[in-house]
Order: sequence, then C-alpha cells, then structure tokens
Amino acid sequence: MNFKKLSIAVSFTVFALYGALILSLFYYYDGAVFLETLKSSRTLFSIRLSLFTATASTIIAVIVAIPSAYALSRFRFFGRQLIDTMLELPMIVSPVALGAVVLIFFNTPTGTFIQDHGIRFIFTVYGIFLAQFIVTVGIAIRLIKAAMDEIPVRYEEVARTLGASPARAFMTVTLPLCKRGIIASSILTWAKALGEFGATITIAGSMAMKTETIPVAIFMRLASADIEGTVVLVLMLIGIGLGILYGVRLLTGRAVPV
Amino acid sequence: MPKIEVKNITGKVLKDLSLSVGDKEILALVGPNGAGKTTLLNVIAGLTDYSGEVLFDGMNMDRVPPHRRGVGYLFQDLALFPHMNVAANIAYGLRIRRYAPAVIGERVDELMNALHIAKLRDRFPYNLSGGEKQRVAIARAIAPFQKILLLDEPTANLDAQTAKYFRSELSVFLRRLEITTVFVIHDLLGAEEMADRIAIMHQGSIEQVAAPGDILFRPRTRVVSEFIGMPNILNCDECTVLSTGLVEVRSGSMRLVLPYEGTAMSKLAISPHDIYISDSKPPGPALNRYTGTITEIIPLRTVVRVKVLVDGNELLAELSRETFDEMKLAAGSNVHLIVKLRRLRYFEV
Repeated sequence: MNFKKLSIAVSFTVFALYGALILSLFYYYDGAVFLETLKSSRTLFSIRLSLFTATASTIIAVIVAIPSAYALSRFRFFGRQLIDTMLELPMIVSPVALGAVVLIFFNTPTGTFIQDHGIRFIFTVYGIFLAQFIVTVGIAIRLIKAAMDEIPVRYEEVARTLGASPARAFMTVTLPLCKRGIIASSILTWAKALGEFGATITIAGSMAMKTETIPVAIFMRLASADIEGTVVLVLMLIGIGLGILYGVRLLTGRAVPV
Repeated sequence: MPKIEVKNITGKVLKDLSLSVGDKEILALVGPNGAGKTTLLNVIAGLTDYSGEVLFDGMNMDRVPPHRRGVGYLFQDLALFPHMNVAANIAYGLRIRRYAPAVIGERVDELMNALHIAKLRDRFPYNLSGGEKQRVAIARAIAPFQKILLLDEPTANLDAQTAKYFRSELSVFLRRLEITTVFVIHDLLGAEEMADRIAIMHQGSIEQVAAPGDILFRPRTRVVSEFIGMPNILNCDECTVLSTGLVEVRSGSMRLVLPYEGTAMSKLAISPHDIYISDSKPPGPALNRYTGTITEIIPLRTVVRVKVLVDGNELLAELSRETFDEMKLAAGSNVHLIVKLRRLRYFEV
C-alpha cells in the first residue's frame, strides 16, 4: 500500500470509529420515546437555551478575539508571550477545573461584590454564558490569529501608502481577507460552546427549565439511567451540531486565493 | 527646493545617508543586494523606523504617518488586493480619500487606458499575468494623485524582453505625469534607460549620485567602478551617420557601428562582458568584429578578464573560466573579438 492510500485509509478509520459510535446509539433508539422527548417542554427549553447561549457567547468571544488576535499576530510587545501562553489555559485545564476556579473567584470579596452589585452568575443563565465564554475565548483567539497570520502584512502597508489609517487598512483589507478564517473559527468556537459541559454545570448548575443545556440534560438523563432519553438527546446534539457546521461550511465554501 | 530630502538617515542597514531628489526628477537607486535600497524607500514612505530627517518640499515628514505622506509605493511583490478586481484595486486609494464617485471613475479609466489595461477591469489578480499585475499595481500606486512615487524593482517580475519594453514605456509615462520618482533596480542598464540620475548604493551608504553618463565615464570611487564593471571607454574621434539609422564611430583606427539616436557623442562605454572572444574567425559579416593580441590575463574567482590590443586601443573582455580553459588562451595569442551592438552605451555631448 502506498503512502497516499495509507493516509486515506487512516482518515477513513477515524471516520469509521465516529460512525460506529453514532450507529451504536440506534441500538437503544425508540421512535416513540424520541417523539415524546422531542415534544417535551423541558427538552425544547434545553435546545433553545443551548442554541441561544452558544450563539451569544460565540459572538462575544469573537468580538473580543478579533482585536486580540490582531495584536498578537501583528505587533511585538512586552507580555505577548505571556498572553499567548495564557490562551492555552482552557486547553490544558479541564473545563470542570475552570468552572471551579470561577466558583472560587465568586467567593472572594471581589467576586461577591460583583455578584451583589453587578450580574449574578452563579446558578443563572449568565453563568452559562460565562462558562462558555471562558472555555472558548482562548481557542477563538488562537484560531483567528492563525487566520490573520496567513495574510501578509504587505497588504496593510500598501493600504497605508494609499491613504488608509491603520484601522481602515485593517477594516478594508485584512478583515475581508481573513473573513473565511474568522467564519471557520467562529463555527468551531460555537460548536465548542454548544457542547460545553464541565464549566457550565459547575458554575450554572443543572436546574431543569432554568440552566439545563443539552449536554447537562444528557448527563442528568444518564445519571437517572434513562438510556433511551439519553440517546435521543445525544442524537439531537449531534444533528444540530453537524447540520449547522455543514451548512455554514457550504455557505462559506467559496475560496479567495491569496 | 528639492522635492525629497533625506538627511543623515541611520536605521537598519543605512548609515548616515543623505540624498536629495529634485521636483519631477526620476532617480534610480542601484547597488548590490543588502545595500539598503529598499530600506531607503521604506524610510521615505514612513514604513520603517529611522533616525535622521525626511523632508518633502522642505517640510519635515518624520512624524507624519505613511497614510498622510502622499507617497505612492510599488512594492516588489506588487501585493494587489486579492479580494478586489482590477478597477477596485486602482480605485482603492481614491475611495479611502473620499473622492467623488465621478472623479474616481474618470481617474480609474484614465489610468487604465494610459497603461493599456482597460480590458482587465473586472478581472481578479489571480487571473492576471506578471506584466498585467505590474501595470495594475503602478496604476493603483499613482491613482490617488500622489506627488511622489517609489518603485521597488518595477520590472523584477518580467522576462528580459518585456522588461526592456516596459521600462521605456514606464519612463515616458512617468515623465508625462511629472511625478517625482525614486526607483530601485539592480541592473545598471535598466537604470540608465529610465533615470535622470543614478545613485549607487553600497553597504548602507551612497557612493555616488550622478547622471548616467557621469557614473559610467567618471566613477568616483572604486566601489562604483567595480559595480559598473570597469567599462572600456573609447573616445569618439569621428561620427558618420549611415542612412540605415546607424552611426559609424571611429576611435583611433577602430570603427564601430551603433544605433543612431540623433545625437553626437564624444565617448563610448563597452562593458567587458559585452565583448565576446573567439579563438577562430567567427562566421557572418565583419560588423563590430576585430582581431587583436592578448596583452594580459587577469584570473578572478569565477571569470577571467583578458586585455586585448586592437588597432591601438586596449580592450578589456570578460569570459567564464570554462570558456577560457577550453580556448587555451595565453598572453601573445591572437584572438577575434565581437562587440555586442545592442549593449553599447554612449555618452551624449
């Protein structure tokens, strides 16, 4: 077997692994339970809550990530390496641990002050936003920075000599050129937020009809040995996630050669 | 008052460099790699840090950011915006400066017609040839009514034939626009074709700034002399215009035929590598061909220089080591010389 065939075979093996896992869900699939679970107001609430919080936290994460990624991609400044390393925190620390850190923070005098006089995060929907934001923003910055690194600084220099201020050069040249990269990063960030569990349950808890996102609902069904219900929710999560990812990829598939 | 003045510039490779460029002048920066040519362009455009002074029309520009300097810059890699078509690329600077749509349309059309790229209007950069990209990038750099234009190797992406044609076209175009231009070029012949003056740069300093003829016939330093290839300088004792657009020049008892451009000349420069040496009589007409005797052989690292006495003139020719070894040349050997007609350079009186 030549190298090309071998590498393609390995990629298919990974696909088969995921495919087999998804197929195994159908062993416990029950059509009646599926419809019943789908129609229940608790499930619908979880779906709505998950879609809403994942979308909102992604928007905020991307808004924060774009300027941060630009700074890290284009400028050499004191503390750059430190920031770059810190961005890996969500990747090296498990989400539960991150959630625990947030919980601990809100039990310090500063945290208590914020809770009392600002926004109450613990065991509320805001807690879900915060959990998803903290887990995804570092990754969003990393991904968008990678997209910006691909765009030569030269385009901005040309724009500058043609009369564009640094901000306008960024808006009219760099941003449109890394649009696809930013969309791709946003999709991955959104997918990560949608599936976020550890930090969410630690900060916002698992209150039905209040802070129960789909991953939390899956955990709760599994904990109560409701396998059929778990299967339905997992299939929904997979369906929503893959469906939207695939759709956006199709929509933004047009390439602009750089 | 000079249009551009740089005074005591130090930064990156540049060492206390000063230079002034006259209004509407076309100045070439020539020199080996690493001499600081592109860095000097970046200093003028404000794209790199430096110490020293940059003045435009006597006004200090040191604190003026690149987007307010009004300097058009053609980068060597052109960097056309890949997400914009040709017309949008050219219009970019005008849009940024908020010109009225009618003015933008008119200016873009004017430049596209002048540079013969009107038919490319809706094409995207990935769909253009090297030469087409070059023209679009020049149009874009000039479009927002810039007073100064910087060109970094404007013909680097073109084949030799196209480059020669493009240089003469660009030279006419820039003179018609009356735009002060500083351009970097590695080839001295290219610089001569386009520039009013040539600045020879070496290791971050300027060795000599002068008109092309002066550089060629009166190199001031050894670096300049070596860079221009120590040309053979012949005095023109007599010029006879031939009816075929050629002129016959007599230098001592040597006769050379070269293209006639309507000007009398007092001196001729022939670069050593523009003289071919052969150990047997070459076929073809006897035009610009001579026989002579080798008086001295100067071996260098990769080439060999040979001094040949021809009709009372001593000519220096250069050939590769392989060719030299093959021909088994020695001092005293008789050889045949061919002078490349197209590469002759002459000095107007």
